Amino acid sequence: MQYPDAARRAAIAAHRFGLGEATLANVRPDPLAWLLAQVGPAEPQLDLPGKPALPSSAEAVALQAEVVRRRRMAREVDAAASAPAAAVSQGNAGPPQVSLIPSGGGPGPARPLGPSDQPLRDALQADQRARLATAVRSPRPFAERLAMFWSNHFTVSTGKASMRGLAGSFEREAIRPHIAGRFETMLVASTTHAAMLRYLDNESSAGPRSRLATRLAQRQARQPEDAALASRRVGLNENLAREVLELHTLGAVSARQGVYTQADVTAFAKVLTGWRVVTPPAPGNPAQADSAAAPQGAFVPTRFDPAWHEPGAQTLLGQAFDDADDGSSLLAVLQHLAQHPATARFVCGQLARHFVADDPPPALVDRMVQAWQRSSGDLPTVYQALLNSPEAWAPEPQKLKTPEELAISSLRLLGGADALWARQPDAAIGQMGQRLQAAPSPAGWPDQAADWLGPEAVWKRVKWATRLADRAARTTDARALAPASLGPWLTEPTRLQIQRAADGPQALALLLLSPEFQRR
Amino acid sequence: MTTDRRSHRQAASPINAPRRRLLAAGLAAGAWPMLSLAATTTAARPDDPRFVFVILRGGMDGLSAVPAPGDPAFAAARGTLAEVPGSPALPLPGPLALHPALAQLHGLVLAGEVVVVHAAGLPYRERSHFDAQQVLESGGSRPYELTDGWLGRALRSSGVPGIGGLALGASVPLVLRGSEGVDSWAPSTLAEPPPDLLNRLQQLYGDDAALGQALQRARMLHGEPAAMTAGGGMAGGMTGGTTPPRATVALAQRAGEFLSQPSGPRVAVLDIGGWDTHAAQARILASQLSLLDDTLAALRQSLVAGGAWPHTVVVVATEFGRQVTINGTGGTDHGSGGAAFLLGGAVQGRPGGRVLADWPGLAETQRYEGRDLRITTDLRSVLRPLLAEHLKISTAALDRQVLPGSGGLARVQGELLRGGGGV
Repeated sequence: MQYPDAARRAAIAAHRFGLGEATLANVRPDPLAWLLAQVGPAEPQLDLPGKPALPSSAEAVALQAEVVRRRRMAREVDAAASAPAAAVSQGNAGPPQVSLIPSGGGPGPARPLGPSDQPLRDALQADQRARLATAVRSPRPFAERLAMFWSNHFTVSTGKASMRGLAGSFEREAIRPHIAGRFETMLVASTTHAAMLRYLDNESSAGPRSRLATRLAQRQARQPEDAALASRRVGLNENLAREVLELHTLGAVSARQGVYTQADVTAFAKVLTGWRVVTPPAPGNPAQADSAAAPQGAFVPTRFDPAWHEPGAQTLLGQAFDDADDGSSLLAVLQHLAQHPATARFVCGQLARHFVADDPPPALVDRMVQAWQRSSGDLPTVYQALLNSPEAWAPEPQKLKTPEELAISSLRLLGGADALWARQPDAAIGQMGQRLQAAPSPAGWPDQAADWLGPEAVWKRVKWATRLADRAARTTDARALAPASLGPWLTEPTRLQIQRAADGPQALALLLLSPEFQRR
Repeated sequence: MTTDRRSHRQAASPINAPRRRLLAAGLAAGAWPMLSLAATTTAARPDDPRFVFVILRGGMDGLSAVPAPGDPAFAAARGTLAEVPGSPALPLPGPLALHPALAQLHGLVLAGEVVVVHAAGLPYRERSHFDAQQVLESGGSRPYELTDGWLGRALRSSGVPGIGGLALGASVPLVLRGSEGVDSWAPSTLAEPPPDLLNRLQQLYGDDAALGQALQRARMLHGEPAAMTAGGGMAGGMTGGTTPPRATVALAQRAGEFLSQPSGPRVAVLDIGGWDTHAAQARILASQLSLLDDTLAALRQSLVAGGAWPHTVVVVATEFGRQVTINGTGGTDHGSGGAAFLLGGAVQGRPGGRVLADWPGLAETQRYEGRDLRITTDLRSVLRPLLAEHLKISTAALDRQVLPGSGGLARVQGELLRGGGGV
């Protein structure tokens, strides 16, 4: 396969590997260098002025805990006599007010907070707004694309309500700093992050022979009449173990090929026990706090709790992993998984599928796998192998943009789009079928055209683009924007349709909906 | 900018949205909360002038809307477009007539409430929709010479106290920009994509089977006739749909209700798209003109009901006309001279009909560049007396701000307004 000329390579760099540029001028001299220069940790997400601050995972966990506690209190009040309940509700008249617990600050006095989860909705919106604004404005769109890819690879989803505020902090803490490091580093950061431990239920997984389970069994034996005690069950939850193997490292195909079995999943789940989300002490009521919560001012939302951990060595993928009862066995297992050849093949295939083609060329994946193995999973080395492959520069658009990619790239072209995320950041993208940070399953959003080509989804794209074009045509002339942005990627039929459009908004809508802009 | 696309849509900007909701709520109670104008509307009177500008986007073929069967070159040049099968054209004075789909308008013409303007156009002579619409709305002599609109500037300069404007659509079109007293209103349901755009898109997806099929299925599911996608060889893009955007009619009626409110807006702008008829023009224009006829009738009806029609001027204009001769696909390509309409209770028509045209003739040597109906009437010379007498804009303001550079244009013949202004 021949490399296309420099002008076409600029269009490919900007659109296939980036998020679209209004002009290719910056990209044109050396498109490959333009991309490689962007490889590095993703930039911090934009904290928009006048908007709620972006929560850290510690703040999100604390906020979730406080809302849960307040809900429980409200229920208890409801359950009590009606008169006191009315008094409480009057005391809380007006919109519930709560601010995110400031980072590094200890719990203050009890704040008035009804059972409303408005603060969590605020946190969710702050996350979504930051995600869009950062991607739309970033001078390093390839880094943003990598962050989007890895966030989707290690999916945590606000489809689970307790993830609000956590999905955003997960991307900021576990993904963005690590996109240009070694895969193993990102695997450890994501697997041990509070968001992942909560999303895939590891926070409530306990070893069957853990100290906690043992103590509980002893108490139940002593007090067989205690119904509450009898109903308490602790045990193993395999969810996180299975998804790390199936989705994050070896891939489901490895299970079908017998690379790992159910016994490996169970063993890995045992290794994972004890890795928990820590809730902060309740204000004024230390008894409700997690017994091992960190001291005030240094609240860390994740820790290894040996009481929940299944003791003893585990055998995984034919290898024995000793247990020091301090959580270190997890790190050893993750290191092993990160170096496994099946992981290299699975993850490289996912990367190639994301950037290049729904059915990635095997030769391309092979070269990426070799780069991975040569460098022990050094991600920049893998990206270089991707970008240096001729298949990556196939001259015509291959992939269909996801709704999120379409929206971001449209806004990058049109500029001045703040109004879109000022109110309901995710509304438009959600209507096109992709709710921000709310993938339907731990597998993340699908990454092939067929998944986004339903008639209704395409209809919504047309409606969305038409509406955006109506507004943006005041300041943007599609006839000039199309060649500046698409360069040689602009086909003659599209150029003519834009030229002959009935008016400016229609011309802009045709540009945004053209095959070469819908694809990349 | 077809009307169906704009009119169904929510007010897009956050600034407009709360106003629109208030407006929708206020409408049920019969009130018009012109918040930005509340302080200045105290002087509003029932006989204040009303002004409506209807933009026909896409370049309406003036020779189909207002054919010239009396011109010796007409029949030969127009071919199959010369006549509408089975329907006689509606007679006008001189060589002209009206398309049979404009029957209600024709009734108003005969009743003396309409002035038909022909061989009219802008100072702009090229053939780009974009640039011509910019000139039509900005009121400049060249595209992008001015960046706000003549009607917006007129609102600012008007001698009528407390005058405010309303855009019927999601956003404020260029013509109304330049004044702070402008609102926009659109029904709250989201628009379905306009048929014209869908037809062009379907062509664009000709080589992309996956996108093309998805769009075609979506159109069928949404009741869009897919038949429009046949005949992919048509040049320049097909226009119009078999489903006329009837919502425009409802929007016009609503516009009349707003304008009739005691302290409502006095100026409104309505967009109707779908006039870019490069192919199958006879069928498309029959439907488009029928829509225009119904729209204008609905606007009049609600203004009559509200008592405002006697004080109303409506200007209907398009960015340019089309070539005199029919092209190879039963349509016409972009040309310069076209037709416009002035109507309203305040307009000085004539029983039996009034035409304002310095008719240049249609023979090839009489055409502009051998192709187009020659422009002999500058639209600005029609707008000037209307703005001066109806909206009380001083000559100095007209010359310098509202329609700069139009001071030297010849006056049109005769009064355009009843009683020298109808105010």
